[in-house]
Amino acid sequence: MTRTLVVGAGGLGGPLALALAAAGHELAIVDPDTVELSNLHRQIQFTAADLGLPKATRLAARVGGTGTVAPWAPALGDAVDLIVDASDDPATKFAIADWAVANGRRYVIASALRFGGNVFAGAPGVACYRCLFEEPGEGPTCADAGVLGPVVGAIGGVAAAVAISLAMNDRTLAGALLVFDDLRRVAEPRIVRFAPRSGCSACARAPITPQPKEIPDAEHSRSQRSS
Amino acid sequence: MPSIRVPSALRNITKGASDVDVDAPTVRDALAALEKLYPGIAARLLDGGGAVRPFIKIFVGPDDIGGLAGLDTKVGARDEIAIVPAIAGGADA
Repeated sequence: MTRTLVVGAGGLGGPLALALAAAGHELAIVDPDTVELSNLHRQIQFTAADLGLPKATRLAARVGGTGTVAPWAPALGDAVDLIVDASDDPATKFAIADWAVANGRRYVIASALRFGGNVFAGAPGVACYRCLFEEPGEGPTCADAGVLGPVVGAIGGVAAAVAISLAMNDRTLAGALLVFDDLRRVAEPRIVRFAPRSGCSACARAPITPQPKEIPDAEHSRSQRSS
Repeated sequence: MPSIRVPSALRNITKGASDVDVDAPTVRDALAALEKLYPGIAARLLDGGGAVRPFIKIFVGPDDIGGLAGLDTKVGARDEIAIVPAIAGGADA
């Protein structure tokens, strides 16, 4: 059974946790926030009965697994095989990706905004999230650009599908970013592939020797580090 | 005439336009033309020195311009220039 950490129990985390639990993943869910009325239009795992209660424990009660009322912390990654980021914080996304690269874990970074979203599939031996987006920026957030409620469900579902593929050692999408530009009009993603970036600070900390939880691909890993 | 694909996240600046045709020989010129049409968008894409911001990626067709000639990458009449930003929306708003 794959042990998966879901970081964020909101609009993205809800549907992907439901899907991963149904697929047999053993889930650990973390989120520091409580359910608010303004969440309910897109965080459909919650009802008015959950208002004021911690998202992590309420979602865990629904799908199974453990819920921890806290933000991401590296210690949370130690006990899992796979990490799925469904947070709304750029720094958290980079921190998770960097930790996963340094510790040989597979990971998924999911984001939704306005009418679309991005899903990145991370695995040892391929270009990482920081190879693509070098550092957290001042990009738009849901707070200033908004998000259409059903979009987070769709992107969360895609993130779950990608996570299941990675858990099954399917490397088809490893190192790729799926870009859904406007789900009201086009459901087909642009699949962005890119090479490891020379000088990437995260890849410089990647283990040369495959870790026990790593998908075997040692040659690629060595060439990535030496570039 | 090359076309710039504006991401959903930045269409509040382009008044909802998703595809903007520009007459330009390079990516740099294309972005300058986009700025003329929609003032303020260049500052979201480029830093004070004119370099692409780290959390923005620009592709010509399937290729990251970082692996080509950067902003000086030439574009043809049928090329699509895609802007892909890192976005952070998810758990809350």
